[in-house]
Amino acid sequence: MSLTVVKGMQSEIFVPITPPSVWTPVTKELKDMSIALATAAGVHKKEQERFNLAGDFTWRKIENTTPSSDLMVSHGGYDNGDVNKDINCMFPIDRIHELAKAGFIRACAPVHAGFMGGGGDQDKFKHQTGPEIAQMFKEEDVDAVMMTAG
Amino acid sequence: MQRAIEEAGIPTVIIAALPPVVRQTGTPRASAPLVPMGANAGEPNNIQMQTDIVKATLELLETIQTPGKIVPLPYEYHAKV
Repeated sequence: MSLTVVKGMQSEIFVPITPPSVWTPVTKELKDMSIALATAAGVHKKEQERFNLAGDFTWRKIENTTPSSDLMVSHGGYDNGDVNKDINCMFPIDRIHELAKAGFIRACAPVHAGFMGGGGDQDKFKHQTGPEIAQMFKEEDVDAVMMTAG
Repeated sequence: MQRAIEEAGIPTVIIAALPPVVRQTGTPRASAPLVPMGANAGEPNNIQMQTDIVKATLELLETIQTPGKIVPLPYEYHAKV
């Protein structure tokens, strides 16, 4: 017998539902991969427009040739103290350059992506910003992406 | 974002300072060093720690076989605020 009296009843309190993971299998070894960075930490080039700290779904393209000293953060949602001292805390671009040189990975991707997480228009992130960044990585033959966020 | 990139057919791994948050959003692969938000990849100017965290995280691309796995990393940094 079924214990369900009313079908489809749900809590009237909002409860976030964990979606199933989207999963792309890894087919290469690290030493054969081109690795890109994507960060929600609000990283961008100093010459680029800053993020709107109240919420911003736009993103910034960061060329792999950009020196880490030309990068900065604008993000209103976390303590920027550490990342202002050293951008590699959230955007370890110098570290992946070293790992590529050492042969741990094949290469750094020609482009990386910075955006500002922790708010903003989630629908835009999902249907516009996310696919745009993914498209850029696709076009540049990126094998895997390492992210910092959360 | 991680979902969008995976949907496009590119595998991802995330360094998370807040593992419960990435669990909630359905991360496919994550590492979780003991770090505060804002220093996910390790202590500022600590090249050794940052390298270790980045390497250990990238290695998860090869080792994680189950979607949704979050692996704690034995690196610890507390921000002095």
